[in-house]
Amino acid sequence: MSFRVGLDFGTSNSGVAVYDGQQVRLLPIDRKNVLPEVVKTVLYITRDYHASIGQEAIELYYRHNVNRQRHYVKQWAGEIDYTGADLHYVRDVYVYVDELKPGRLMQYLKTALRKNTPGGYEGTQIFERFYTVGELVQVYLGLLKKRAEELLGEPIRSATLGRPVQYSSSQEQDAKSEETMRQAALAAGFENVDFELEPVAAALDYERSISSPQNAVIFDFGGGTLDIAVMHLGEKNGRKVYASGGVDIAGSDFDRAIIEKRMLPHFGLGQVDHQPAILELINSVPDWMALPDLATPQNKNLLEKAMRAGLAPVRLKALQALIYNDMAFTFYNRVESAKISLSDQGAAVISLEDRDIPVWELYTRNQFEADILEFQSRVEKVLLDTLAASGLEPGSVDAVVKTGGSSNIPLFTGMLVRIFGAEKVKKSNPFSSVAAGLAIRAGL
Amino acid sequence: MTSLQKIDEWIKEAEERPQSALMILRLIAGRLRELTERNEELLAENIALQDGSRVEDYSRRITHLEYQLEMLKRRFGPEGLKAAEALALPAVPQTISLIIYQARGKIVRIEPSLQELKGIVSLGQITGDVFPWGEFPRMLVVPSAEELLMVFTSGRVSTCAVAQVPVLENDSLWNWDQASLPDEPHGGELLSALMPFASLPLADFFVQISRRGCVKKTMTSLADNILTNHYLGRGTLQKADKPFEVVLCRKNARLVMVTYEGRLLGLDVDDLTYSTEERIRLEPHDHVIASFLIEPDESLICLTQNGKVIHRESSVIEPAKSASARGQALISPSRLEQGTRFIGAAAIRELDRVLVLDTAGGLTLHACREITGSGALPISEPVLAFGIVLAPSQETKP
Repeated sequence: MSFRVGLDFGTSNSGVAVYDGQQVRLLPIDRKNVLPEVVKTVLYITRDYHASIGQEAIELYYRHNVNRQRHYVKQWAGEIDYTGADLHYVRDVYVYVDELKPGRLMQYLKTALRKNTPGGYEGTQIFERFYTVGELVQVYLGLLKKRAEELLGEPIRSATLGRPVQYSSSQEQDAKSEETMRQAALAAGFENVDFELEPVAAALDYERSISSPQNAVIFDFGGGTLDIAVMHLGEKNGRKVYASGGVDIAGSDFDRAIIEKRMLPHFGLGQVDHQPAILELINSVPDWMALPDLATPQNKNLLEKAMRAGLAPVRLKALQALIYNDMAFTFYNRVESAKISLSDQGAAVISLEDRDIPVWELYTRNQFEADILEFQSRVEKVLLDTLAASGLEPGSVDAVVKTGGSSNIPLFTGMLVRIFGAEKVKKSNPFSSVAAGLAIRAGL
Repeated sequence: MTSLQKIDEWIKEAEERPQSALMILRLIAGRLRELTERNEELLAENIALQDGSRVEDYSRRITHLEYQLEMLKRRFGPEGLKAAEALALPAVPQTISLIIYQARGKIVRIEPSLQELKGIVSLGQITGDVFPWGEFPRMLVVPSAEELLMVFTSGRVSTCAVAQVPVLENDSLWNWDQASLPDEPHGGELLSALMPFASLPLADFFVQISRRGCVKKTMTSLADNILTNHYLGRGTLQKADKPFEVVLCRKNARLVMVTYEGRLLGLDVDDLTYSTEERIRLEPHDHVIASFLIEPDESLICLTQNGKVIHRESSVIEPAKSASARGQALISPSRLEQGTRFIGAAAIRELDRVLVLDTAGGLTLHACREITGSGALPISEPVLAFGIVLAPSQETKP
């Protein structure tokens, strides 16, 4: 016997579920996680190309990296040819490489899939090997499949994968991203792969809980994208998608907004002027995956020189510690945690317990809502456009189903309540309803 | 960094959602407490700077560093130095110190004369509670001009010159109550190990070994940071584990770990990682009781509590490549069942001698050649600790 599973490959979290025709079973795919049926979409590859995912990857990353030693060696990277006047020059190019770097942690693989355009993001160098985006996704899916097979005790040959309503606004690019995902899944060992829109999958999960036909708006707002589907549900053969829409705004954009608007002053923004190299370092803080690569001896000298000259020494020391103590991932997680806790409470603190990083920011829901207000207007526009495309009025909608972590943000819940009415806004499992729906779709 | 604008924003939040006010107040109060503590630390530091004690600290460190430099010059010989400079070097004391220390930080220092160490078998006796709360003391035999790194279970380190530890008068009868406390362990921590580190400039790595067999390598180029911050790290993976030993070593060195239940594991230092890794899989009731470097021309002795000596050539030690190694067994299963356990182990050369402390406080000196030949120590009391007295021709190992 072989199983057919539903696999939700999300920007921040993933999950696997199976459906036996009556019940959906969410697999406890990451036993180390607080929610075992949710596995973080992070991939850690060590110097000897051992890969791990989820909480295991994060633990390994912390164990290997925090406060580790570095040793930079100058490596020849290639040559640059250029011609000036009558002369032709060839120059060697060197890069500084940390030879003690134990591994690379990667997040937002799904976002990379969206940006996988010619001349765009094609992949990354991990030690001696170049991984394409497809190969990275393949490694992740392969490990996810292996864990699911261990839990089920049977091989998995087929999978229904979720996909956003649009990977890209360009149709050609959208098809290419889906094909990259398909090839990655096939290479990971799945023999049959098909796709379902993520909000449609969430609708299938919701459909199990209703007893009469309904017009429903699925508001799937996760870590990487907002996906909306307007559907008719509850009739066995009358399930219909009236319209679907989406936009690439989601949780990671809010984290970035918090860092840019509230946290950069802690690392020198506003106190350092006329120092483009240092400003570039400060402005790299929101992109935590880029920070470890900035930990070069040159940048250290640059920061130390500025500190010795009395240029914002406390802030630049914090920036230095953030970069050189590998605190970027921790910092980013603290920002994300504060954002999540603001869904339930009015204030939270973003801080780091490192003696060189005196970061303490009391952040209120009011401030958060002000910081993401620009996103709210765009989200509202996409929602209303999709609703208009469906031909339904807000009054004809019977239920609005929220799923995805960002759908719990009060600003967006308030928006849904304002448009549709409080009684219509339903909450589903924010992290598992898509995987559950994909499993149902796989079992149909 | 709290601007007026931010305060206005907090007030706005409290006005809009009164239930947030309590949360904001609680968070601000917590921060205020942290800042008050930090402020007190800074004020204390300021006082230390103003009254000169901080300057004295640094002067002492500079003196230590200068002394280490002299040691280095002597080690490399007068080559590269002008004859006049070499002559101007202060004479290095030739005395040897016997250091016995406990986890509670108490240290006894005895300076037996070289002549005594050559001839006399029984050196004397330490009275008092040598074996308090069941804690085994540890022993070290070092030149009196050596520097010691004190490693605590919290990962804290501090330095102490051997010469700074008061010597107990050498009259063959010493009292443990006269032990000194050069750096009392802070609350919740214990003294893990004393490491001689005058040869720091010659070493490439610190290697930390924990009770449960975790190993971590740190480059000695970070020594300045480590000594300034007084922190090396615990080098453990589990909370219940404790640091056991720190050794200085060079590249290509071979590290040996011996456990209470007789497991022996060899490790190539080059294979060790810079992050903490568990390198030996131990039974739940087992722990590391000795770890040291071994050279190809040295051999290994392990002592049981009742004085039995197990001697092996260094060639039997195979370096483990796997992180899940269980090590070579030195005690047979039948002996283990009978309760045989190791009290310590060390690398020796033929002409070295072993200084043994027994449970009655007796200190005896034995020639390695004799005890490895007979297979047992000629003592009646159980062994508590032992140290190696290097043959006079040898230098202190790094």
